[in-house]
Amino acid sequence: MKKLYSNKLVILSLVLPGLLVFIFAILAPICLSIFYGFTNYSGMGKFDYIGLSNYKNLIKDKVFWTSLRNSLFLAIGFICIQHPLAIIVAAVLDKLQGKAEGVFRCIYFIPNVISVAVIAYLWKFIYNPDFGLLNNILKLFGQHEKINWFSPKYAIWSVLIVLIWHGFGWGMLIYYTGIKNIDPVLYEAAVIDGADKKAVFFRITLPLMKPVIQVNVTMAIISALKQMETVYLLTGGGPGNSTQFAANYLYQQAFKAFKYGYGNAIGVVYIVICLVVTVSLNRIFSDRQLSKG
Amino acid sequence: MDEVGKKKSRFGRYLLWFILICVAVIQIFPLIWLVNFSIASSNEMFTSGLLIIPKKIQLGNYYKAFVDGHFLLYLKNSALINGFAVILVLIISIMAAFACRKMFWKLSGFVKIVLLLGMMIPIHATLLPNYKIYHVIGLTDTIWALLIPYVAFSLPQGLFLMSGFIESIPVELEEAAVMDGCGIYRIVFRIITPMLKPSIATVAIMTFLNNWNEFMMASTYLSTPKWKTLPFSILEFTGQYSSNYAVQFAVMALTAAPAVIVYVLLNKHITKGVALGAVKG
Repeated sequence: MKKLYSNKLVILSLVLPGLLVFIFAILAPICLSIFYGFTNYSGMGKFDYIGLSNYKNLIKDKVFWTSLRNSLFLAIGFICIQHPLAIIVAAVLDKLQGKAEGVFRCIYFIPNVISVAVIAYLWKFIYNPDFGLLNNILKLFGQHEKINWFSPKYAIWSVLIVLIWHGFGWGMLIYYTGIKNIDPVLYEAAVIDGADKKAVFFRITLPLMKPVIQVNVTMAIISALKQMETVYLLTGGGPGNSTQFAANYLYQQAFKAFKYGYGNAIGVVYIVICLVVTVSLNRIFSDRQLSKG
Repeated sequence: MDEVGKKKSRFGRYLLWFILICVAVIQIFPLIWLVNFSIASSNEMFTSGLLIIPKKIQLGNYYKAFVDGHFLLYLKNSALINGFAVILVLIISIMAAFACRKMFWKLSGFVKIVLLLGMMIPIHATLLPNYKIYHVIGLTDTIWALLIPYVAFSLPQGLFLMSGFIESIPVELEEAAVMDGCGIYRIVFRIITPMLKPSIATVAIMTFLNNWNEFMMASTYLSTPKWKTLPFSILEFTGQYSSNYAVQFAVMALTAAPAVIVYVLLNKHITKGVALGAVKG
């Protein structure tokens, strides 16, 4: 058995497809990005090696810093608005027994299975100042002024709302699963000890959910950092870069401003930032180590 | 005392329902609005009401969306690409997970970490260099331009989930198979794989959900309609029918429909799969 299980050729044949995919789709592009990051390539024609000047420009680039700040804004928005809501709804849903539980869970998750392309265009219409749903709802409450939701003042909030709406079901589902996994004996014991509902939620549900919350917070921060598609379709990063994100910015620089070299330099820094953030979050929440998996 | 308690719990029950229904309305109403506007005509949209009762149900909107949006072609492309991606991710991740978790070699831990790295790399950072690579070796506008990155970015999660499950399969089973003269490949595909059914479902669902709605790579690597996927009909439409809002609503509803229908039908399995995948991954 040991001999059979140490056959190097067999092992190689088993891991080779995975390694090839990794090399071809992830490693090679990253190496190429590093290479182009040192050039002034425009996307076509000739180019020169220009050393670190792309990176020096990047440090001074205000738009890039705005894009990182926007990611931070989104992450805080997810953690302070979406997640508390998701935990509360999950806890409430858990109390509901019978068929309705499944129906609600299904409804909450539906936006998640719809393509970002549909979501972005749908919300463009919802925000539409002339016939959009949102302004029509506000009219019911006596607000007759037509609000432009994509003005520099509101645009980032508009993006945040779409993302919270779209991802709510996912976050809720994970908290819901976490709550379902809590041993019901604990609740019974708490009730016997005379704890009321509030105490049960804050003393039992929340503390036991800690690992789930950590996983969800990690995912929220990373998804805020990786945000691109919704912004690309909804606002294009505008107005005036007020909703710019790193991924969208590098794409624009390469394909619209024809600074392919610079775009790749942004890409390299962006990858480093994502790696550092992911690794440090995993360190902080160290009970969730990748290498242990 | 009892009476008060009962009243209180009944009030609590109402509050519970109120919260749940409010959230449900927020989540579902934009979609109802979408369907509602998609059967109206464009002139009727400028009302101050929330929903409109169309004078005549405009099914013509859907006809235009269906034909001019190349719905069938794009649906077929989406289904094919995602189907292949799921199958490839499953096969590759089962093989790699088995080799890394069960077999004896020095680099097993290292290779696994390398393969899992893909989880941390932002997909969109590879858009620029991959565009160049596919252009040079002639992969743009082929199915491979989407299949390769889709598999690459779903593989880490697949591997992660599979290794967890594979590890829990008792060694005795494999020992018995070896006694009977099974080779490694037969052990992996005939004995281990059938036992992985629940995790195969989870990985398949996660891969499918991740890639079905993917749009950025498809829009970067493809320029001809041959392999374009479903999200594209909307983009093409907004150009073509820029002033006909009603038809745009119809095309959005149509594009969203397959995923929503499949989800509602398989809701229990998908929910379970996602929950399992997300909590473990």
